[in-house]
This record gives sequence, structure tokens and C-alpha cells, in this order.
Amino acid sequence: MKAVLYTGIFVAAILPGLSFGGARHFGFIYEAPTSAPGSFELENWVTWSRTTNPQHSDQVAFRHEIEIGITDRLQASIYLADWFYKNDPAKSGFTYSDSALELIYNLTNPVIDPIGLSLYQEYRGGNRFFEWESKLIAQKNLGPLILAYNATVEAVWEAKGLTDHEGEFQQAVGASYEISPRFSVGIELLHEFVFPKWQDEEKIRNVFIGPNVAVRHGNWFVTVTALAQATDTSEEADFQVRTIFGVGL
Amino acid sequence: MKTSILFVLACVLASCQLTNYVPPVTSQMATARTGQSVNLAMLHEGRTLFAHRCIECHTLPVVWRYSSKDWPDIVDSMSQRASLKPAEREAIIAYIIAVRLAEH
Repeated sequence: MKAVLYTGIFVAAILPGLSFGGARHFGFIYEAPTSAPGSFELENWVTWSRTTNPQHSDQVAFRHEIEIGITDRLQASIYLADWFYKNDPAKSGFTYSDSALELIYNLTNPVIDPIGLSLYQEYRGGNRFFEWESKLIAQKNLGPLILAYNATVEAVWEAKGLTDHEGEFQQAVGASYEISPRFSVGIELLHEFVFPKWQDEEKIRNVFIGPNVAVRHGNWFVTVTALAQATDTSEEADFQVRTIFGVGL
Repeated sequence: MKTSILFVLACVLASCQLTNYVPPVTSQMATARTGQSVNLAMLHEGRTLFAHRCIECHTLPVVWRYSSKDWPDIVDSMSQRASLKPAEREAIIAYIIAVRLAEH
């Protein structure tokens, strides 16, 4: 009870100085600019995915994230909770997955410099689960057009004693065209290389592609991206839709 | 058909690239009549802030899209969202108006 009270006092004390962290143009791709120092934003993610191979299942995953601008170039995010509801023939129900800390450091600007670059590092932990993820974020703004590229390396340790491990390399590329300052549309493509047990014997490659829409106004934004699997990998989602709703506190 | 699409795409990209959305600060800008005291350092800061803070939410418009009279209100309306302090807001406005005056 005391913790709730102290949290309330802390939030009330800092609220007058808080502002918006920034709007996303993409659902699955990160952008190079970081949040303004002192900004504070709550983002809620909802990702629905449907898998039909080898059996039909639906999953709705949720993320609640607080994004904080620390300096002109450094931004931190806390994933308070990642959790999901899964509905498949074997088991249905809600599961808490993990919480995480994310840091993004901006190196160059996508308007002034030839290319905007940022470095991303994320640590994620849950019940018998730990993930380490590094990302290079590249972006170029050409007038109303935003071109973005992410190269991601991640390593996962899970199960009792964290003995199971898996790696993944992902490339993501996207374009977003700003029709007006409040509305943009675009396309995103993900190309995944999955390495079970950190080996490439199974040659698992996944490609997802689809459109996105982003709307922003005042201190909020909504971004929706729908992706379809262009490959035929079993146990991977055939279709997924992600909605991110952000609001400045 | 493919060649035509690629050609049109290349033209669009080239036209976007040819427009300088954040022109570099010149000494001519500092001496332009802005109605307020500006110095080069303030204009440099305004350019940096314009390029960094505004793109957190949207792409940059060309500065001549809006009039010199409208720009202060436009920047004011988004200054809290962009965490701009009063001096930073003034620097951005000074830069934009200096660019407009230098171009005309």
C-alpha cells in the first residue's frame, strides 16, 4: 500500500514537467530518433497472430512500456509486462512472459547526416527465460518519406537452468510516406534467420510483409501494421497484426 | 513497365533529396532583418533542435510551406510535446525565420 502511495506521489510530482516521447511510423521497425530529454510516454502494444501449420492457434500478446527520454541522444524503456492469451487445442489461457529494459543511443541524424544511425540494446527476463537483443537502426528521411532498416541479433536462454538456447538474426526494412503531419502509410518487410541451439542445420528462414498505417494527434499516436508470412514455415504465424497506442504522460 | 516504375520512383526520391529541409546556417542569415536579435550560435542551435526534436513525431516540412507570421504559433503548439524550453523554442523560430528571409 505504501509503495502505491509513494508511486502516486512521485508521478504527481513529476507530471507537470512531462511531455510526449514521439510517435512511431512503424509497428515492427524501430526508428533512429530518440525521445526528447525529460519526455515520458506510455505505450501499449497488442499483437494478434494466427498460426495454422501444423495446427490452428491464435495468440494475442500485450506489452506495456514506459519510454523515457534521458538525454538528447539516450532513451530508456521499461517493459513493465509482456503477457499473452493463447488459444489452441492443447492449452488456452493467459501467461505472463517477461519484463525488460531497453536502451537506445542515437549516433547520427536522419535529416542532417547522410544516414541516421542508432544503437539498441535490450535485456529481457521472465520465468526460466532470458533474452539479449542488439540492434542497429538506420534511417533516412527524404522529405515526407521515411526509409528505415533494422539489423537485429538476439540470443535466448530458457527452460529450467536456462539450458535451452536459440539465436536469431533479423533484417527489417520499411518505408513510410507522410500524407499529412498526422497521417502516414507504408510497408514493412521482415526477414528472419532462426538458429535453434545456435546452429543453422534446419535452415529456418521466415519472411513477413505487409502494410502499416500511423495516426498521431496531440499527445497520442496509433500505429497498426499487418504482416503476412511469405514463406511456408510451420509453427510460425501466418498472419499477425500489431497495434501500438502511445500517449504522453 | 518495370523500368517506368523504377524511373518514376527514382525521380520522386531525387526530388525529395534535392530539397534541403534544414539549410545550413550562413552569416547572411544572422544579418537578415528578423525583428529580433539573433546570433549564429542561436541559429545553429535552432537548426539542430529543428532537425532532432521535430522528427520525433513527423517529417520536416519545407520552411516556406507556412508564413513567417504562422511559424511561431506552429512551433508553440508543439513545444510542450517536444519538451522544448522557452529558449529552445525561440532558437527554432529564429532559425526558420532566418532561413525564410535569407531565401527571399
